[in-house]
Amino acid sequence: MRIIATVLVLLLIVPSSVTGQTKPAIFKEVAAQVGLSFQHYNGMTGKFYLPEITGSGGALFDFDNDGDLDCFLVQGNTLEPNTQPGTTLFPWRGPESPRGRLFRNDLTKGKLTFTDVTQQSGIVATGYGMGVAVGDINNDGLPDLYLSNLGANQMYLNKGGGKFTDVTKESGTDDPRWSTSASFFDYDRDGWLDLMVVNYADFTTANSPNCFASNTARDYCTPRVFRAPGNRLFHNKGNGVFEDVTVPAGVSKEFGHGLGIVTADFNNDGWIDIYVANDGDQNQLWTNQKNGTFVNDALLAGAAVNRNGQTEAGMGVDVGDFDGNGTDDIFVTHLMDEINALFVNLGQAVFEDRTREAGLGMPGRRFTGFGTFFFDYDNDGWLDLFVANGSVQLVPELVRQKNPFPLGQPNQLFRNTGKGSFVEIMDQAELQLLEVSRGATVGDVDNDGDADVLVTNNNGPARLLLNQVGNQNHWLGLRLVGKSGRDMLGALVEVVVTENSVLRRRVRTDGSYLSGNDPRVLVGIGQSLKVKAVRVRWPGGTVEEWKDVAVDQYTTLKEGR
Amino acid sequence: MKNFLAIVFLLISTTVYSQSSRKDLVAVRLPDLTSVEKSVREQVTELQDSLASASKNPATTETALAEAYGKLGQIYHAYSLIEPARDCYLNASLLAPKDFRWTYLLAKLDQQKGSFDDALRGFRIARSLRQDYVAVPVNLGNIYLELNRLDEAKASFSAALELDKNNAAAHYGLGQVALSSRSYAEAIRHFEATLAQAPSANRVHYSLAMAYRGLGDLEKVKAHLAQQGSVGVRVADPLLDALQNLIEGERLPLARGKLAFEAKRYAEAAEEFRKAVAAKPDSAIARINLGVTLSQLGDVEGAAEQFEEAIRIEPGRVNAHYNLAILLADQNKHEQAIAHLQSALALDPNDTSVGSLLGSELVKAGRCREAIELQRRLNLKLIECHPKE
Repeated sequence: MRIIATVLVLLLIVPSSVTGQTKPAIFKEVAAQVGLSFQHYNGMTGKFYLPEITGSGGALFDFDNDGDLDCFLVQGNTLEPNTQPGTTLFPWRGPESPRGRLFRNDLTKGKLTFTDVTQQSGIVATGYGMGVAVGDINNDGLPDLYLSNLGANQMYLNKGGGKFTDVTKESGTDDPRWSTSASFFDYDRDGWLDLMVVNYADFTTANSPNCFASNTARDYCTPRVFRAPGNRLFHNKGNGVFEDVTVPAGVSKEFGHGLGIVTADFNNDGWIDIYVANDGDQNQLWTNQKNGTFVNDALLAGAAVNRNGQTEAGMGVDVGDFDGNGTDDIFVTHLMDEINALFVNLGQAVFEDRTREAGLGMPGRRFTGFGTFFFDYDNDGWLDLFVANGSVQLVPELVRQKNPFPLGQPNQLFRNTGKGSFVEIMDQAELQLLEVSRGATVGDVDNDGDADVLVTNNNGPARLLLNQVGNQNHWLGLRLVGKSGRDMLGALVEVVVTENSVLRRRVRTDGSYLSGNDPRVLVGIGQSLKVKAVRVRWPGGTVEEWKDVAVDQYTTLKEGR
Repeated sequence: MKNFLAIVFLLISTTVYSQSSRKDLVAVRLPDLTSVEKSVREQVTELQDSLASASKNPATTETALAEAYGKLGQIYHAYSLIEPARDCYLNASLLAPKDFRWTYLLAKLDQQKGSFDDALRGFRIARSLRQDYVAVPVNLGNIYLELNRLDEAKASFSAALELDKNNAAAHYGLGQVALSSRSYAEAIRHFEATLAQAPSANRVHYSLAMAYRGLGDLEKVKAHLAQQGSVGVRVADPLLDALQNLIEGERLPLARGKLAFEAKRYAEAAEEFRKAVAAKPDSAIARINLGVTLSQLGDVEGAAEQFEEAIRIEPGRVNAHYNLAILLADQNKHEQAIAHLQSALALDPNDTSVGSLLGSELVKAGRCREAIELQRRLNLKLIECHPKE
């Protein structure tokens, strides 16, 4: 009898994986299935050029204003002038030369399907592409594109009807250096979106030295062997022309090897500030002085370096009020063996590195993080975290397996416990693909009320992860537009669910790494069937409030009604 | 007879133990050495061969085999070949479980690669083998700190202080525990104690600044932020430090020299850079670093010699030309300085530091037309120039 009891106990503790039980999938990867077929090309030749492992990104944006998110995917190219794409280590096999591609989402015609409309769009992105930023620069209600490259950047004006025109020269927004992430935001509250472009390193194939790993084998150089070129701030004059205000605005005073940028009102003064994640240099927090200038307060604010005072390899960055205290917190991804950083905003832009207290320390050590964003994947009202990973150093296990591109690492999803900490969700097959992820962008691609994820992989396919679970909770979908019909990037939304539950979100397309996000605000409200009010603080400073905003659907809120 | 029996019993038990421990040994995951430097490949291969011979030889004692595994593990560890190093240390510690070295280095490796559960287990065993090695409780404290297990971290750092009451790393760890708990005054006390023992550890000033910020003392915050730098605190760890001596070539002394230079310990930096030059005489980087350090020490002639040699080795080194030009300019050798600055500018036409110095040297040499042309081209501030007659 004693033996039988023991056997029963053993049966009860058999893990679910043995019995074949699995938890429901949070995401389903559907890129190829829905026509989003894209393979990134990095031009790798074996000479260990740093740009090969740096790109590229992508954007989710509604270029044709039909109510669903379209997609732009950034492409690499060859790095040396006499190299043919078909002859590199991972030869290009496409029917035409490598080129960034625009995909139209035909969801509103009945089914989630993407169609490649690059050819007819007028977008000719054949440089060595890095990133993409989205913003409506002429207030015509159509989102425009800024493409950052290793080399000359490109500004594409959306003319409507699916057509874009290259206005780089006329707009004065070129930057011929190695640009990475960029952000559109209205720093002077004049109603026009300005542009900050982050630059990485003064790299050329000619000035790239031979670098070595600690085992003496050839390896990629750190960016520090190249000079930091400095970032660039362009002020939108409202007439189609931008003015380079980098020097007068003060953002030329500090240099860094910049990779990530996010803009937000960190000190809650109604003016948008800038945070730049630097690779190997102190991060910068450019506090808006409300007079067209900025001061870097990062060190004093406690957001420049980690808690030990060490600079780390800042890659991607995002901002969100993860702890629900009404302030925007910062999350920065780093290299493997460093830990990612969560800078908690205690108010008035005073930050504390609380990474380990939030449970994000150890999980981040295992991988090299790039794209990242706060989002509420399960619509429970708490902002969760996504991190796209991919090594920049050979992964020994993959080398042993003779993997031809042995940098792959899984991506990570962290669930917000609602108590100031996160728990890594480990059992999701779609996150376990060993790919070299770089960009990551969030948006509700199928308009079903939960946040989907687009991941861009270096030397790999783009992945579209459709959320399978979020809309089991209730949600509020908001599009915040100005009087001109433009998405009001920088607008602050407060969703009053109950007296004690106010959810703060911001309208943005920036953040993450080399990528552009859905400008709409998707707010999970858990089991609540309604919200008391929605308050919006517009970038110009005015505040409006809406009552009776319907849940479980998208609603457009227009400034000034 | 009794003695004989005892000896026989001992032999049998040793044999049984030996077979058992050898049976448990893991297969070492040999690293791919095809792309490493020849000297390193030879160094590693030699030890791999020694281990292979020792393993095959039935007469090899457990101790000798453990030593062979341990030595190979150290070489792998020194070159950051983490997985094979771990396999070797694991085998060494299985064969010689009472040998502190292998248990400790295995735990340290686990700590370095973020396998904290294994590292904790290993350090606990290491502590039972040797109580006086202060790096053990400090490492334990650091792991607990990273795991946010603050009470255990505090206990470990306190244990380290019992071994060495002035241990800077233990004080720093306790300061971090206090800062995490927002016990700012206590944090300040420990960080001050750290700096008292390790004044060159200028990174501690950042932690001090954050602690003073917690107390609202903005003046002290600013004062400490102004002093903060990149030199941290580490516990004395002879076993780990010894690994560095196994590395062949220039890179280790270069790295050490850089650290010493950043901490403004110029004499020590020069010594390391000299070692780097000795290890690789045709290293332009080593010579430039030595030159810069010598100029900090006031040895202008020695510095110039190193820069000249660096230019001979690699004529395309902008830094070598620029640094040499600075020395020459300081000695009013303007024409020579100009020649090197022109070389540097030809290599990097957009370098405004070079352009600026070249402009100023051209002015000093009375070569006004060239100076004005350059200043205009590079958008530099125009300096008044008097042509030489």
